[in-house]
Amino acid sequence: MKNTFKVILLGVGALVLLVFPLVAPNRYTVHIVNMAGIWILMSLGLNLAMGYCGQINLALGAFWGVGAYTAALLNTRFGSPIWINMPLGMILAGITGALIALPMLKVRSHYLALVTIGLAETINIIMVNEIWLTEGPLGISAIEMPELFGIPIDGAERFFYLVLICVVIGYLVARQIVNHRIGRAFIAIRDDETAARAMGVNVARYQVLANALAGVYCGVAGVLYAHMSTYISPDIFEFKNALFVLTMTMVGGMGSLAGSLVGGLALPLTQEWLRAIKSWQLVGFGLAIMIVVLFMPGGVVGLTQKIEQAGGIRLPWARKQTEGKPVAEEKLEMEGPNVA
Amino acid sequence: MDSMNILSIFIQTLVGGIGIGSLYALVALGYSMIYRSMGLVNFAHGSIYMIGTYFGIIWYRGMVMGLQVPYPIAFVIGVLLNAILGLILERIFRPLANLDLMLMLLGTIGLGYVLDNLAVIIWGAEGFAVNSPLPNEPIVIGGVALLPQMLLLITGSALLMVGLNVFLAKAKIGKAMRAAAQDRETASAMGIPVNTTNALVFAIGAGLAAAAGILAAPIVYVNPAMSAAVGLKGFAAFILGGAGSIPGAIVGGLVFGILEAISAGFISSAYTKGIAFVVMILVLMVKPAGIVGEVTVDKV
Repeated sequence: MKNTFKVILLGVGALVLLVFPLVAPNRYTVHIVNMAGIWILMSLGLNLAMGYCGQINLALGAFWGVGAYTAALLNTRFGSPIWINMPLGMILAGITGALIALPMLKVRSHYLALVTIGLAETINIIMVNEIWLTEGPLGISAIEMPELFGIPIDGAERFFYLVLICVVIGYLVARQIVNHRIGRAFIAIRDDETAARAMGVNVARYQVLANALAGVYCGVAGVLYAHMSTYISPDIFEFKNALFVLTMTMVGGMGSLAGSLVGGLALPLTQEWLRAIKSWQLVGFGLAIMIVVLFMPGGVVGLTQKIEQAGGIRLPWARKQTEGKPVAEEKLEMEGPNVA
Repeated sequence: MDSMNILSIFIQTLVGGIGIGSLYALVALGYSMIYRSMGLVNFAHGSIYMIGTYFGIIWYRGMVMGLQVPYPIAFVIGVLLNAILGLILERIFRPLANLDLMLMLLGTIGLGYVLDNLAVIIWGAEGFAVNSPLPNEPIVIGGVALLPQMLLLITGSALLMVGLNVFLAKAKIGKAMRAAAQDRETASAMGIPVNTTNALVFAIGAGLAAAAGILAAPIVYVNPAMSAAVGLKGFAAFILGGAGSIPGAIVGGLVFGILEAISAGFISSAYTKGIAFVVMILVLMVKPAGIVGEVTVDKV
């Protein structure tokens, strides 16, 4: 009974997604949804590193940029196609993630937040200043739209399917990871690093792995973005966009992959919808963040879980509790302030 | 270029670094005091600094009903208005202080977003340059040219820092603030109104930020985007010196400012920001608790 409902829900969902580009009111709408797909990929990466492994990471913009610049440079200089750029972008962004993880082994909490911001800023400064490599602040234009199996993917509608495939694969891989030994190690580290270490978890290795994974996900997002927009410049990969990803993940639900889907879709669409009122939109955005933090710290997913618990019901789309509680519900012991 | 000349350029760069460093130090003091007393890492402090600068400068530039007031009076008004803003914000921040770091981070960032964009709505995104109330000709001492406003920034900041330390050490309410920062429960058992002292800490932090902003306004360009730039560096200074330490915030700010100025003047102006951050990361890797901070041991 329950399963039938789920299959139907999944089937309807798949159908809606498949026909979406055909029924969308205009090309711009499809473009916005494509962009949401790219945000979702980054949010999944952040969720693995921060939601599951408890690693504060504000350097996502840099990983995204490394992926995008890899694709853009390879394509404009050597004409290499997306199926070569994609693995290379993933590898390079993954390595960046692993490198950024190195200071994390030594530094913690708000210190860590700052270190990741600093490293991301430094990578952004390199993008602006190393003009021989990156064309500097003007950015790289005329990146080709991709072609796969002889079919040119040359409009937002066709690109939608490429993004969709990447998001579905990305989500399924992430789900495998969190249900695997790796995911359990991540959660153990997040909940209590000392206990995890005592149980024989190689904490350092998994912390590096978690950030490398975040890098790989952002790398995919970057390669897609470069080929989709055909133009990139350093300001796109600034800190504010890392914050945007952080926000959507928190609103959706940190520590829940479904949260990444919800937040990654909801926030870019809301932002688009409120575009007409510009600055007030951003004020509303800030207020929304505060409301989420103060009143529903588990995000939207945490809220639905709470409703289930309170009412003793299971919402039809609920999955078994394999993903662990959203981080927010755990009261992590903060170190007391150092008083000098 | 003879060696005498290099020396004077070096001194000039150093003074510039100390000037910008005192700006960072005053902003870092706000982070530090709030962290010490409430355990709250306030990522909106950069925005509070930006708003405080506007609160003073709008009077000085005659942007309020065409009423142009002299610089010192504008300074006082700006500091007071921002302190009042601090009192109000403390009420909003109070529930955040008990949350886990990630939520605290996001909540304060959210508030910063609100403040930044309100500033854009009220005062516009473009910003403006501010004329110095002092003469613009540099004072030349032994081949070293110094801007009067820079000297005002340095002496003003130094006075504020000394004043703050004396206040915390001597005044009754200052002692209460230190007690509340050290042990909240015991302090409140001793009859210290902890919430009131926290509100006062917030007001002082906001006031210091406004003072720094108004003193530095004629040197830097005033626009809403400066909240992120200076906020980040003040935060870096707060971490670099040792989170929660008052002398640490001052040392961290000065070190960061001098580092920036020297790397801009002698290594690469394009990589100023990058070099400062790289040095900071290296310091943290060698001394994770910052220059002055104490090492905390992980609790099991």
